[in-house]
Amino acid sequence: MGVTYKNLAVLLLSIVIAAFWIGNGQADGEVNFPMPRDKIYLEECGGCHTAYAPGLLPARSWRKMMNELEDHFGEDASLEEPQQLAVLRWLTDYAADASNATPLMRRIAASIPRDAAPQRITETALFKYMHDEVPAYIWKRAKIGSPANCGACHTRANEGRYAEREVRIPK
Amino acid sequence: MIRHALILSLLFAVQAHAETPQQILDGLVQEARRAQQGFTASATRGEQFYRARQTGGDAESCATCHTQDAKAHGRHNKTHKDIAPLAPVANKERFTDPAKVEKWFRRNCKEVLGRVCTGPEKADFTAYMLSIK
Repeated sequence: MGVTYKNLAVLLLSIVIAAFWIGNGQADGEVNFPMPRDKIYLEECGGCHTAYAPGLLPARSWRKMMNELEDHFGEDASLEEPQQLAVLRWLTDYAADASNATPLMRRIAASIPRDAAPQRITETALFKYMHDEVPAYIWKRAKIGSPANCGACHTRANEGRYAEREVRIPK
Repeated sequence: MIRHALILSLLFAVQAHAETPQQILDGLVQEARRAQQGFTASATRGEQFYRARQTGGDAESCATCHTQDAKAHGRHNKTHKDIAPLAPVANKERFTDPAKVEKWFRRNCKEVLGRVCTGPEKADFTAYMLSIK
């Protein structure tokens, strides 16, 4: 079998497919969260802040939050009922304690006391542990401003991706 | 042929929901006239409103988050999330979806003024945004 254009084309295609597969694959599975596949979530929640991965909090946290949207961290973020129900569904389906949770999500769920329904991701044990090396002055940089601004450093946070190699800390 | 028909019908489907910023402004002026007969929108009043310091809500003014230059990227006062430019000249998506315009007036008026905006306020504000070149 000699080198033909066909062989070369097949080889090239295989390389491209493999590269694509590796690039998008579960190599960083531990730090990738399933995300709502619906623009409602990105538009309604991601309009004001990072579209946080539902897997960062347990379902009971999200239920409490979605019941108190008129006073959402001091702001009125209330939604129309159809949107409210759709968002709640995504949040509970992909919550840290959902049945299809990844190992990291299960770790998050296990670290939260059963009788607690934390509302701030930054108050959970895993968040604190993962960010303990970040000094206070970095959080205060103009382009970051607050630990709630995941997307400032986690460039693909809106896709549920928090891999360390995708972190770019703005100057 | 079928594909052409499909693409054409898709185009129409998209257009049915999208409006031009001028159409959105016209709609808001109509709404304002129901509250105030003979109302005409003023970009100058809109600009004053945009920059004015308010006391009713959490954010001091519209410019707190959208910055003094509505063509520039803004930043949410609490979450620090980047906000795309508000002026249509810098961001073609702005003022093209009536439902979105209503939603953000509702949320942001509450955040700045602590109340909903009046029809004339919304029309003036929009006139100012459209006047920015």
